Amino acid sequence: MAELDRMEWYDLARTTSWTPKYVEQDELFPPEMSDPHNLPQDVWDTYDEPYKTTYRDYVRVQRDKDVGVYSVRAALGRSNFIEKAPEGWRSILKSHYGIIGAVEFTAAIYCSRAARFGRAGGMRNTGMFGILDEIRHGQLEFIFPHEYAKKDRQWDWAVKTYHTNNWTAIAGRHFIEDVMVTRDVPSSTLTNGFCLETGFTNVQFISLSADAARMGDYTFSNVVNSIQTDESRHAQIGAPNLEILVKNGKKDAAQHVLDLSFWRSWKLFLTLTGPAVDYYSPLDRREKSFKEFMEEWIIAQYERQIADMGIDHPWYWDIFLDELNYAHHGMHMGLWYWRPTLFWNPVAGVTPKERDWLEGKYPGWNDTFGKAWDVVIDNLLNGRKEKTLPETLPMLCNLCQLPIVAPPGTKTFKLHDHTHEHKGRLYHFCSEPCKWIFETEPDRYEGHLSLIDRFLAGEIQPMTVPGVLNFMGIAPGEMGDDPCDWIEAYRASVKAAS
Amino acid sequence: MALFPFVSNFEGDFLLQLVAVDTENTMDEVAEAAAVHSVERRVPRQDKPLRVRVQGADAPLARDITVKDAKLAPMTPLEIYYEG
Repeated sequence: MAELDRMEWYDLARTTSWTPKYVEQDELFPPEMSDPHNLPQDVWDTYDEPYKTTYRDYVRVQRDKDVGVYSVRAALGRSNFIEKAPEGWRSILKSHYGIIGAVEFTAAIYCSRAARFGRAGGMRNTGMFGILDEIRHGQLEFIFPHEYAKKDRQWDWAVKTYHTNNWTAIAGRHFIEDVMVTRDVPSSTLTNGFCLETGFTNVQFISLSADAARMGDYTFSNVVNSIQTDESRHAQIGAPNLEILVKNGKKDAAQHVLDLSFWRSWKLFLTLTGPAVDYYSPLDRREKSFKEFMEEWIIAQYERQIADMGIDHPWYWDIFLDELNYAHHGMHMGLWYWRPTLFWNPVAGVTPKERDWLEGKYPGWNDTFGKAWDVVIDNLLNGRKEKTLPETLPMLCNLCQLPIVAPPGTKTFKLHDHTHEHKGRLYHFCSEPCKWIFETEPDRYEGHLSLIDRFLAGEIQPMTVPGVLNFMGIAPGEMGDDPCDWIEAYRASVKAAS
Repeated sequence: MALFPFVSNFEGDFLLQLVAVDTENTMDEVAEAAAVHSVERRVPRQDKPLRVRVQGADAPLARDITVKDAKLAPMTPLEIYYEG
């Protein structure tokens, strides 16, 4: 019997918005989960996912992808690339796996919510394939670092991080749970699908995939490439949803969740991808700066997408463009200075040659961050390494949970604590957009305690840096370190000058 | 006497830090406590007095006024800077 062409039966097969007989519509699709805007079913029936696939096609394609990835793993399994790789490259992989790995499983929950509560058949279908995608990603992101765990305990954090109170985990959970699994389905397909997965994951996955290929790390390059091809498909769950909301008078609601997600995504990726691209990646293998990747993959692409959809720029666009010049430099310096809190070894990346590159990409770097690093370098040259390690905690934002940073070395006090008093409690924010996100939904965020709040509440004992490290679940042998051998480049130039 | 945590915004540094003093400490002592975590770590030392002002205020607090007498609330952001 001849088979029908897929497109002859696809629409009918996924038209599953039947009229319920034994329960009310709102019981089947509770508005708080499925559609707080109460749009009629015939509106949702116009949902048209741009990437259509069937289970049979899906399995065939995914099987081929897995064969590709696991073949590379088997072929390169006995290679000692990781042992020979520069420390900076290992740091990129450890931070990536630790911060991203377990999040893939949360993304599977997000997709399952769309598969169950989406009002459109196409949305549920896309969500279903998304579940399978994300479970596959989680498995990949666990199994690849697992084989390295016997060499070095930091690799164990690929599985462990998300279940600890490490500050990166607290920040990651706060963000991921906000944009993925605690909002109604139409909103989360925008916060996660349209914004995070369509744009920002490209910065991490595509930029690192390109770097990995240049490094000769074909295993990692294959893993992240394989994952991103899934992301770019199931992320499209958001665009038709956005189209429906805008066409039906819900632009303001859509704009709000997109704006909050864009900002929150920016904060996470400047912390994760920024230092990786501009500091950890070996200088001779760098293609572009983090800012250039952001301009190509985020600014140009996101601007085009929102314009197509009738969405405005976020109100804080100028603040974002300003932060693009400095925020990840501050985050990198903070990561390096508070390196015992990390499960990777953050290389400093500030040798004279690397500084030349930074100054070229970010004019003014030497007059701001460079001056702060000069003090660090002077300490290392004169045997005062203890002055390059923390004795207190950085202030953390009550929204993004990240350190509050600004360019140093100026007399303008650009560094600013954006405070807000709410129900008698003083909250601290890194920026106006983080404060705005809190103020627009205070009931949602007010109860959360940052690491600093937990410290001040006495939940962390003893109230010392070692007490905090213990609270984070990080032990000697796992804590980030830097042997600081890069300082020899400076010692040599001091000798040559004298 | 009570523990007084505050947010240290030290001029020339790149991030805000949590610092604690006692409510009986003077502003000079507050400044010195903040300097421990910034000066000669990421900010060069200067041979000038340090001053303290509430974030955004025009004028610094008197050098000898205590935290208690200045009626500062815990976790107030304070700007610490070299005079002149």
